[in-house]
Amino acid sequence: MKEIDYFFPKTLEEALQILNENKGSMRVIAGGTDLVVRLKQGQVKEDRLLDISRIDALKGIEDRGEKIYIGATTTHTEILEHPLIKTSVPILHDAIKSIASLQIRNIATIGGNVANASPAGDSIPALFVLNGFVFTKSIEEERKIPIEEFFLGPSKTSLKENEILVGIEITKMQDDEVGFFRKVGQRKGTAISVVNGAVRLKKDSKPNRFSKAFVSLGAVAPTVVRAKIVENALESEEIDSLDKIMYISGLVFREVSPISDVRGSLEYRRDVSINIIYEGLADLFLNGFRRS
Amino acid sequence: MKEVEIHFTLNGKEYNLTVPANLTLLQIIRARIGLTGTKRGCGKGECGACTVIFNGRSVSSCLVLAPKVDGSEVLTVEGIGTFDHPHPIQEAFVEEGAVQCGFCTPGFVVSSYYLLSKNPHPSEEEIREGLSGNLCRCTGYIKIINAVKKASEKLNG
Repeated sequence: MKEIDYFFPKTLEEALQILNENKGSMRVIAGGTDLVVRLKQGQVKEDRLLDISRIDALKGIEDRGEKIYIGATTTHTEILEHPLIKTSVPILHDAIKSIASLQIRNIATIGGNVANASPAGDSIPALFVLNGFVFTKSIEEERKIPIEEFFLGPSKTSLKENEILVGIEITKMQDDEVGFFRKVGQRKGTAISVVNGAVRLKKDSKPNRFSKAFVSLGAVAPTVVRAKIVENALESEEIDSLDKIMYISGLVFREVSPISDVRGSLEYRRDVSINIIYEGLADLFLNGFRRS
Repeated sequence: MKEVEIHFTLNGKEYNLTVPANLTLLQIIRARIGLTGTKRGCGKGECGACTVIFNGRSVSSCLVLAPKVDGSEVLTVEGIGTFDHPHPIQEAFVEEGAVQCGFCTPGFVVSSYYLLSKNPHPSEEEIREGLSGNLCRCTGYIKIINAVKKASEKLNG
């Protein structure tokens, strides 16, 4: 690994100052579980690291009424252990539980998972369907960016060189909402998703009808995507049979543009993206669309 | 700083070292301190051979850079038990034949220690989940899972 200059600021103000003075030659590090691998592989051009993991202002989970705010350097394990997450945003809980291994989740952060902008990042589809926002700060400004506008491509975000991702906001699920996160990887532990996806449905007063549907898929396009055609179908159709669910899931075909790589072929990814939506919806249907 | 001064506790003993910032905790443990129980497998956080307890959490020590070690508390397999005084987890691994080549074993012992400290009576599913960040390429996992069940019984009478 090349030599690095390491900075360990204690306050956010100090961190923003240092980052601004070094913009272009400095990378932000939190848990480091992704960045250290890339450093070892010689894939990081910057030779200065700004470690934000000891800044108290960036840590922790806040109950904000209808919303939940999660500080960027909150670890996956801390999120999973927080009682609010499992009860109010089970979709995010299941997504984070599927990330990497325990040894990684114990140090890796949600801010890192988002800022890495992997098309296969497992927290991201959940944040998409939970109306997620990304909060950023620089010495000049604070921004609140809808999560869907944050990603520009694989490993590319709208973060500026002197900006730090400081937190994530999501909307709690209401009692009349159901949903799921699903992932297919090559094995259960430590696997990068071949395909992942999340769904949130708001129930209508009529049975098997939904007034709002949010569907998001990962690892099937340059960024995580919303599947709007599927959402429209879920909002307009009566979801009253497995055949109907298969028909709607098949529409995923029109929304994804996967690539072939070492983890799976284009055709396999396309079929699996249909199947995870089908299986998740079928499970909800067979459970009478009750919150389990 | 390309070099960093780090002050930390490892297996109950205090250390003050000056090391390059690009050294990993794993390299510090093996090359600087000379404890070679913690193994380097994949170097990418996928195999679990380098698992240690870092500030009360199990982590892949190959992914922790030296500056993060400053002020920390680290527990390695050597701090869990010794040859003369093995930990009940280590006894159970021997009794159940959960060791073949042995390379993954320290990582499995540390992950088992972490699991049982959080959950003294894990179900088989919870054991499988708790160890899913560790790879063994020899025995398969049945004997390792049996060893953790046995260790849980030993520790809880």
